[in-house]
Amino acid sequence: METMIEAEQLSKTFRVARRRPGLFGGIRSVVDPEVRRVEAVRDLSLHVERGEMVSLVGPNGAGKSTTIKMLTGILVPTSGHIRVAGLVPMQQRRTLASRIGVVFGQRTQLWWDLPLIDSLRLLRHLYRVPEEQHSANLALLGSMLELDEFIDTPVRQLSLGQRMRGDLAAALLHDPELLYLDEPTIGLDVVAKARIREFLLSINAEKGVTVLLTTHDMDDVEMLCPRMVIIDHGRKLYDGTVAAIRERFGGERTLIAVLDPAEISAMSHDSEGQPILDDLPYGVRQLRAESPRIWLSFGRDALPAHELVAWLGARHRLRDVTFQEPEIEDVIRRIYEEGLLLPETLANNPPFNLEHKIVYWTMTI
Amino acid sequence: MLNNMLGDLHLYLRLIGMQLRAQMQYKVNLLIDIVTYFLITGLEFAAIMLLFGPFPSILGWSIGEVAFLYSLTSMSFGLAELFGAGIDAFDITIRRGEFDRVLLRPVGALTQVIGSDFRLRRFGRLTQGLLAFGIALKLLPGLTWTPLKLVLMPIGIVSGAVVFTAILLLGATLCFWTVETTELTNILTYGGREMLSYPLSIYNSGLQRFFLFVIPLAFCSYIPVCYLLGRGLPFGLPGGLAFASPLVALVFALASGAIWRFGVNHYQSTGS
Repeated sequence: METMIEAEQLSKTFRVARRRPGLFGGIRSVVDPEVRRVEAVRDLSLHVERGEMVSLVGPNGAGKSTTIKMLTGILVPTSGHIRVAGLVPMQQRRTLASRIGVVFGQRTQLWWDLPLIDSLRLLRHLYRVPEEQHSANLALLGSMLELDEFIDTPVRQLSLGQRMRGDLAAALLHDPELLYLDEPTIGLDVVAKARIREFLLSINAEKGVTVLLTTHDMDDVEMLCPRMVIIDHGRKLYDGTVAAIRERFGGERTLIAVLDPAEISAMSHDSEGQPILDDLPYGVRQLRAESPRIWLSFGRDALPAHELVAWLGARHRLRDVTFQEPEIEDVIRRIYEEGLLLPETLANNPPFNLEHKIVYWTMTI
Repeated sequence: MLNNMLGDLHLYLRLIGMQLRAQMQYKVNLLIDIVTYFLITGLEFAAIMLLFGPFPSILGWSIGEVAFLYSLTSMSFGLAELFGAGIDAFDITIRRGEFDRVLLRPVGALTQVIGSDFRLRRFGRLTQGLLAFGIALKLLPGLTWTPLKLVLMPIGIVSGAVVFTAILLLGATLCFWTVETTELTNILTYGGREMLSYPLSIYNSGLQRFFLFVIPLAFCSYIPVCYLLGRGLPFGLPGGLAFASPLVALVFALASGAIWRFGVNHYQSTGS
């Protein structure tokens, strides 16, 4: 498989002039600007093979948009090398533009006052697509995205979901090899999101379009992309699967035990009259209780799930037991808030088993 | 290369077509805009007439001659405002971040920017120019026409339009660094337009030189008009120089285009 995106040690530093406050501050800022340097992206490397679907995840201001702008040739990196589809973006921007498609979730490329079909027709000329190819694509995309119902409606009258479908069609009319999506499902309802995801999977399967997707929605990541790249503070923190990160930082799983009602009366109770389990094993704690259910949280490394069930079963009569996996959103939130993957944190808290040690080692190369 | 230019022209026409169709969606708005703009520019013309009216002549210029100069410059500006509307609105494009999308297309940035707007309502100024021209002709019963003069007139109008559009482009290029339209740009565009509506000879020689040789707006409006009215050119320049106006306009436009290209490349390296 050939490499679609090859980015090595990308960095982008912006020089931002600081406006001084006050009446004369504005004048002083022009004459003698106080410039500070903002490192938007630091030493970021990324390899994407043709046909892959990769998601770019990170808090706002992490450097995702800056990275995408560098990959598309809009911004020139301060240092580092990029090759996309074999071209160097900053030197061959226009050639590259005919091979990629970009969809911004919050800004449309369609003409606002005219019917959708007018925009789709004009794009044929903007991208110099042969008539036959354009008609074929229009028909295919029209049926996959179900555009017929609103293809003659002015874009300003479309709902967000319809407009997003229109933008997707617009971005794919010229058969790009690579598709960048910047928050494609933002603001959409559940049904619309599902349709867009289905569409992306089909287009990836049918046309082999490589997809790089920026998103805050973890469902997008889990349903579309086996591979997730986490960016924060301009650095790539993680490049791997969702499952692996959930396992690594998922930390605690939750066991929900449904106790036999007869048991409950025999147990100790807290101030609100809910049952409490005494003498829980090390690493297990009770989260809450709503009779007859008790939520227990246990660390992965504290004791295996079946042992906890056995322990419970030995002491109390259980009616039912279920497990809850940690929400990937909580995992991501912890990574952002606690800086779990930042090199400084990792240096202070090295992981302690072999598997994790390997992951840690590969990340610090 | 020629193929490319033809392709770009084709594309420009299609982009304009989209603009026209979009603006025609709001027909009543459009009509009101055209009429309003016609009235506003008409008032400007009336103001000048009232200014010059009480005097038989100012610096040797009769009211008919002033009307003639005004009408020709008005037509030049009207054309430039019509076709250069996309350039005029470039500060909005930059501020809204829409220039990123321009860079993501396999087409030249300038073609897209010029094609991004075509303000039909600016027809008001062109109409006013034509009307003013009619009035000027009535006020100048003694004006003689030669075949050369008939050729020079449209050339002069178009050259003036090209120079003014190039000035708009310079102003737009500045937006890469300043984001919003600066007062400097407004001085050159609106200020220039105002100043050139009056005979150049009323200004001091420094300003005259500026608008003749630095920003050659006067070269493509005042000088052709002098030739058409049979008047002497400033600084004793030969009358035939009026026919050099398209060349001057072209050179200035190329310089402006080069500065624009520099701006586009610089945008890529610093971002917004």
